[in-house]
Amino acid sequence: MTASTNISVPAELGQKMDEAIGRYPSEHRKSAAMPLLHLWQEHFGFISDEAVLWIANKLGLQPINILELVTFYPMFRQEPPGKTHIRVCRTLSCAMAGSFKLMENLCARLGIQRPSDGEGMHNPISVSADGNYSVEFVECLASCHTGPVCMIGEQLHEKVDPHSATDLIKEGRSSGRPATNGGLETAAPRQWPPHSLEHRLIYKNVGRPGWTTDIDCYLRDGGYEQLKQALTLSRSEIVNKVKNSGLRGRGGAGFSCGLKWSFIKPDDKRPIYLICNADESEPGTFKDRYIIHEDPHQLLEGILISCYALNARTAYIYIRGEFPEGAKILARAIEEAREHNFLGKNILGSGFDGEVYVHRGAGAYICGEETGLIESLEGKRGYPRIKPPYFPAALGLYMCPTIVNNVETLCHVKHIIAMGGADYAKLGRPNNTGTRILCVSGDVQRPGYFEIEVGAVTMGQLIYEMAGGLKPGRKLKAVIPGGSSAKVLRADERFKIKEKQPDGSVVEREMSIDEIPMDFDSLTAAGSMAGSGGVIVLDDSRDMVWVLNNINKFYAHESCGQCTPCREGSLWMQKITDRMLRGGGVVEDPKTLKTVGDNIAGRTICAFGEACAWPTQSFVEKFPEEFAARAQKPLPPPLPPEYTPEELIEEELIPTLPMAHDPGWEKAGAKGTI
Amino acid sequence: MAEQVSSSPMFNVQIDGVWHQFPKGTRVIEACEQAGSYVPRYCYHKKLSSPGNCRMCLIEMGFPKLGPDRKPELGADGKPIINWMPRPQISCAQDVADGMGVRTNSPLVKECQRGVMEFLLINHPLDCPICDQAGECQLQEFSVDFGTSQSRFFENKVKKPKNVVLGPRVTLDDERCILCSRCIRFCQEIAHDDVLGFVDRGSYTVLTAHPGKRLENNYSLNTVDICPVGALTSTDFRFKMRVWFLKETKSICTSCATGCNTIIGTREDVIYRQTPRENDHVNSCWMCDYGRLNFKFLEAENRLLEPQIRSEGKLVPADWPTAITQAALELKQFSGPEIAIIASGRMTNEELWLTSQVANSLGVQLIDVVPRRGPGDDILLSKDRNPNTNGARLILGSASEPGAKLMGIADAVKSGQIKALVILKENTMHLGIPVEQLAQLPVFIVMNILPNDATEKATVVFPACGFAEKRGSMVNGKGRLQRLNRAVRPPGNARDDWEILRDLLQAIGGGDSVSSVDDVFRRISETVPQFDGLTFAKIGELGVHILQMDELPPTHPVDEEAIEQAIAVQAARRAARPARS
Repeated sequence: MTASTNISVPAELGQKMDEAIGRYPSEHRKSAAMPLLHLWQEHFGFISDEAVLWIANKLGLQPINILELVTFYPMFRQEPPGKTHIRVCRTLSCAMAGSFKLMENLCARLGIQRPSDGEGMHNPISVSADGNYSVEFVECLASCHTGPVCMIGEQLHEKVDPHSATDLIKEGRSSGRPATNGGLETAAPRQWPPHSLEHRLIYKNVGRPGWTTDIDCYLRDGGYEQLKQALTLSRSEIVNKVKNSGLRGRGGAGFSCGLKWSFIKPDDKRPIYLICNADESEPGTFKDRYIIHEDPHQLLEGILISCYALNARTAYIYIRGEFPEGAKILARAIEEAREHNFLGKNILGSGFDGEVYVHRGAGAYICGEETGLIESLEGKRGYPRIKPPYFPAALGLYMCPTIVNNVETLCHVKHIIAMGGADYAKLGRPNNTGTRILCVSGDVQRPGYFEIEVGAVTMGQLIYEMAGGLKPGRKLKAVIPGGSSAKVLRADERFKIKEKQPDGSVVEREMSIDEIPMDFDSLTAAGSMAGSGGVIVLDDSRDMVWVLNNINKFYAHESCGQCTPCREGSLWMQKITDRMLRGGGVVEDPKTLKTVGDNIAGRTICAFGEACAWPTQSFVEKFPEEFAARAQKPLPPPLPPEYTPEELIEEELIPTLPMAHDPGWEKAGAKGTI
Repeated sequence: MAEQVSSSPMFNVQIDGVWHQFPKGTRVIEACEQAGSYVPRYCYHKKLSSPGNCRMCLIEMGFPKLGPDRKPELGADGKPIINWMPRPQISCAQDVADGMGVRTNSPLVKECQRGVMEFLLINHPLDCPICDQAGECQLQEFSVDFGTSQSRFFENKVKKPKNVVLGPRVTLDDERCILCSRCIRFCQEIAHDDVLGFVDRGSYTVLTAHPGKRLENNYSLNTVDICPVGALTSTDFRFKMRVWFLKETKSICTSCATGCNTIIGTREDVIYRQTPRENDHVNSCWMCDYGRLNFKFLEAENRLLEPQIRSEGKLVPADWPTAITQAALELKQFSGPEIAIIASGRMTNEELWLTSQVANSLGVQLIDVVPRRGPGDDILLSKDRNPNTNGARLILGSASEPGAKLMGIADAVKSGQIKALVILKENTMHLGIPVEQLAQLPVFIVMNILPNDATEKATVVFPACGFAEKRGSMVNGKGRLQRLNRAVRPPGNARDDWEILRDLLQAIGGGDSVSSVDDVFRRISETVPQFDGLTFAKIGELGVHILQMDELPPTHPVDEEAIEQAIAVQAARRAARPARS
């Protein structure tokens, strides 16, 4: 391989690349590496060796810098795909809905020989002999309520019948038509009108008949009024409103948004960045998808208000690569907003300049972690940073102060401006204010999204009233309440939950799973977490070892591999549950699983350690009988030696008997000359 | 450095129950080590950035418990009570803070260490007996100290590439790699050659170079040194010798004026490798590949092994007394102005001092060393490829700069003014004196370790020692006096250079006897002001500064110019010389 390339890049593509490079500070051209790779792949179909050299050269980087990215982000292909490329979701809710059957049938119909899935390694795409089709298993596509889902080209297909893959292919072939309904196929019924227990604030317009993503539609509904209002306020007034609202982050950790914002010093000499985390990829979660696809201006308004409040002149929306339509919708919304001077120079005459750019990810769950996201945005592998010292508010994007907020969180800012912090705080419960969107998937009759006042609905109401209850004849077995990394709750558990009363006193109540209020603190008290709001319901037909194995596979695949416990432990846990499912479980396995989880949680660079350990720890702890049933073989003989170093040092434990096969031992030992 | 330390504020830090004081800016992991509580680590290297990825240095950390007045609450011992953080923290990325508490051997810490060791080993080959790193492998070492010997892992290990040639000097075994990223950071931060990286993800992550690029920078072998496991190996050294058989001799590299501190690894008078030895005044923890591998010539087939004298027109072997006597007799035939001595900037101070004594005894004025230049870099490699130019400058007298008299000597040889030429550890090729003319010299005495075209024409040949075969001192390009130590014995009848010169001096009848390098050094310290008060022992393992950069002879820049000119003249003369058939 030589450094020279013979590839000719069409002028139009070159122009798009230059535009992409222009979205980042000139001294940080590396940030444009992923956009360039996306553009290249869209045009040429895959990332060839020449592409690596060409892009490295274009950005003044070393080829290894680009190769590191191509091999880290699974969306970048190093081999040409078929004319039609089909990505099937492999993750829990879709797998429960039959995505493995779907893949099997697809391969059979298309004549594709697909190698068995490696142990946690990304299986490259498999192409049919005629080159017309290729298939690939991918991790969660964030449409868990409409599983099984797949993407044909850039088009999402929902509620696919696993058995009629042929229809799907015909449909896919003719799917050149313009995207309707925000790029979503409409096989799934719209959830309109909202359920009576819902309180729609963020999702006011999601699924609403006649609603479009145009700015005109948004403006007719009073859009950008809060931005105008915010621009008349001082920065600290806005930050105080957000503080008073009690808003907690909706991305997973539930950290106070106002407190996070207060870490930024507006007089910092360095540029301040706002990043909207639209890398929604926690299995079981699909709430941001609908904001982005159906109400992009609401998000944009939230971002612009936040930019103004933080004095951030540049915002990036880091959107997961599997939302190609979403990225286009956002890009169009940005242009529309620019035409109305809602962003750009001197916004609405306020003197404030603000730019918003869309940056696409490429299939790495870890980039939802804020520092992994920042690294990715800097054009590197999405390796989370150590904290301290790299707290984003101090040393974030390009080592500048940076705030990373989730899509839903930023939308709430708009409503806080509309309602005022104090009034917003009246929604929900103390310390659990506002509304939040819950995503229900798995074994319920009407999976979907529900926006509730935080804590105003119990788990039982959510499952039985809003999501239609379990399928006929089925009983509830377990619930994963906050995305797949949340600890599982067993249906017959009793939970002791302390509740803060309005007068400040604390009362402890014992309750069943059905009675748990869906808020941050109650789910934490129940031993799990509200996480990202992804509620996965499991009925009594589910094999918990199988479920855990599916989750293990997700985390083994998504571990960035940077730090030891997670890199090694996530795959080890998967291999153990793989073996248990194959019938090779040994008696020690449940204990080993648990201790491996214990050795990961709390010892890693980022929270992925917990995310991959908690499912294992909780499944093994709460369903011991199922794990024991699959772990009955005797322990294989361990590898010698069994002595610990300490034991070896203690003389009496060193074998002193002469060994039959070594006549020299006794002699030497007796003389003490060994 | 010491002054800096004392000027920073001191912080009280409790480590394993005992309070210590450390200057602000001390890394916690370093503080622990200084307090005698070594914290194991893989990814951390004090000269590189801290990614915190190996998780081996997890410790418990705490901060003073604050009372309602925001002041630390004091315990019964009058010391602050520490609030311990529930989660273990890495000690490699944080600096000490006042009142910080650290536990390096608590049950939680030990559990963390056992856990990380287990994780590192599950996919690591357990074929230590045949691993080249065995004996100096930190996985092995920390397994003993912090791990367990039993494996709970029954699954298939991850397969990765083995025997990957990363470049001309480095071979990689990816299965042994623990992905600590030290090598990647070294290439980015020290060698400024961003050539290594990780590809793929999770447990399948693999260290590699881009297929079109090689790890071939002049510092590539440092990645082998800092690799804590057997992943990166020196292609030259791997599988040649079990490291526990190596005798380690502390010395310095003599391939340029930097004088990187080294450890020479030998067994039974064979050098197997040279590795850098940390010295923050000279080379930090690094050395260049060129210097590191520049020892093979010591084992050359054609080493000069016996003294030789010219008898009936032919060079014949002789014993040492005969050769020395012969040389002395030959030299004494001529007066000082008829004799020239060309010494070498590769000679030690002791050898140079004895050379100057020989010159004085004979009344020789034409004495100089041969400058040796090459491209330098901004890392370690100096443009001055002589290790002891400064020593020559100090000891041969600063009347003229090294190399300034060379052209005069060459011209005097050609004009026939010079009747006797002594050339020590140098090749006349560097002077542009045609070999034929050397053959016309009545006296031509050569001391060297390898023969060259001119050796054939000598009247006396002294077989001498290479840098690893002798003791002595040198002054590096920045004025630091450092020691060479003998790692191997010279082959055959070759002798230590200083002994040859001393015997020659005595045979000529000059000077009194010295019986060791230390004696010679004492004489130097009595006569050369910069060495005043020093003894050979006082130089120590890390050397002493005897010249500040601004104390170097003011002619230094001029010297550069003179040398460049001299080289140009030499080159022109060489080019003008008719090609040999």
